[in-house]
Amino acid sequence: MAEPPVEPIKYVDALVRLPYHYVAGDCRARYLRALKDKKILGARCSQTGKVFVPPLVNSPESLAPTDELVEIADRGVVTTFCIVNIPVIGRALELPYVVASIALDGADISIHALVQECKPDEVRMGMRVEAVWKPDGEREGSHEDILHFRPTGEPDMPRDAFLNRL
Amino acid sequence: MSRLRNVAVVAFAQAPVVARDEHRMATEMLYPQVRRALADCGVERSAIDYQVAGSADYIDGRPFGFVGALEVMGSWPPTQDLHLEMDAAFAAHYAWIRMQAGDCDTALVCGHGKVSEGEPRRILNLELDPYYQAPIGLDPLATAALQASAFMARTGTTDRRLAEIAARNRAAGARNPDVQVRSSASADELARTPWAVEPLRTGYVPPLGESAVALILAAEGKAERMCDRPAWIHGTDQRIELQTLGARDLSRSPSARLAAERALAMAGATSAADVDLVELSAATPVEELILCEALGIDADRSSPALNPSGGPLVGHPLMMTGLIRLGEAFRQLAGRAGDHAVAGARRAIAHATNGHCLQQNLFWVLGTERRWT
Repeated sequence: MAEPPVEPIKYVDALVRLPYHYVAGDCRARYLRALKDKKILGARCSQTGKVFVPPLVNSPESLAPTDELVEIADRGVVTTFCIVNIPVIGRALELPYVVASIALDGADISIHALVQECKPDEVRMGMRVEAVWKPDGEREGSHEDILHFRPTGEPDMPRDAFLNRL
Repeated sequence: MSRLRNVAVVAFAQAPVVARDEHRMATEMLYPQVRRALADCGVERSAIDYQVAGSADYIDGRPFGFVGALEVMGSWPPTQDLHLEMDAAFAAHYAWIRMQAGDCDTALVCGHGKVSEGEPRRILNLELDPYYQAPIGLDPLATAALQASAFMARTGTTDRRLAEIAARNRAAGARNPDVQVRSSASADELARTPWAVEPLRTGYVPPLGESAVALILAAEGKAERMCDRPAWIHGTDQRIELQTLGARDLSRSPSARLAAERALAMAGATSAADVDLVELSAATPVEELILCEALGIDADRSSPALNPSGGPLVGHPLMMTGLIRLGEAFRQLAGRAGDHAVAGARRAIAHATNGHCLQQNLFWVLGTERRWT
């Protein structure tokens, strides 16, 4: 085998650009549109009655279809959380910050959101929180319409109230 | 051939192929098919031991995007699962092997993916090597045209013959409610369509389409209870060729020939010509001719019936086209093919492929009777 060239070509670069244009889907579209009106929709399983948020066309658990969209509260309880101390790709947030699982009142599963307007070490499981929305006129029917959640000051909820809604 | 386990297709459900479903995500398209397939064989999801799917994450546009389908496949309580970045027919092949190993009796096989959300020609270009082939912009249409030129030069096949084959598929497709192109067209009309990539005309290649499919396999003992007319698998085999296109004789498909021979031998069949119908994953008339040559059947004869469903030319949802061929074979043998039924069909061949220029080929031989007693 010959020696490699004196000035070897070490890399071949490829710029891969693949644009996507995702269909929201009728179910998701209704959820996103409702956010514009500060409403959060969930879907109820036709078999078990469990409410999923964001709404799904079927229950992943029972495989039965959901048959009803229901409005659920824009407040709930922190079921679990973490305190982020390292920068996250794509988000310019002041460190440290809190990401929490939040079971909204009326929902059987949690959503994930930032908890702000309090110190990270004040956040705890069972803490009551409420959504802070973008102002009227600025909401565009996107998941970003909820800026974050903040403590309501209500008494904490007992573990039994949320342990099955993690 | 030593005795293998009798396994059958017992249910198949397919969303009609469309250019773009504006109302449903890929998983939302799949969910009703899973429900229909289960309802068809009268079982709850808990009756299914194993699940496997075929799709491409690049088509989903999400790394590990396939896991989204778990939510509509009935994956709770925690289930055994496998995903292949291949046509879902290969997922069915894997499930069949698991059944031969004896560790499951029933399997749900799904295919999903929405080509309309991304740019599949760019994606499939990336299937090629990044040094020499991908940068010059080759896509499946261009490589299929290279193959077509090579085949036509070797065999003297004319443009007119390609038009006639395309016309036969279009006529068949007009009788199948699940296909995307439901209008027949004459060979004269098709021979006047403009070049897509010469020597392939736009009339000889399928439009991009999307669908969602679910198929259920069951082993002897359960299959008979799940379906009144199961389509028993008599033989199957799959073979792949090298990645470098230049190292292959594109005018032939040795992998298809070998896979077909092995599948037929497993089935105890002497000739592919003895079956009643053949469903080929041929996206162009040339691919159909190359596969017929590999199978040793005459594409001009009326028996076996070639692509009575209309084949991929009238509905080609990437990653599902092959599983639909297996599903179509089931429909024919189970008496569920409706207006495109082949009268009295008792044996069928189904084929699936992956990669450029028929790189990988999978054959199934099926029959209305059990293979092994």
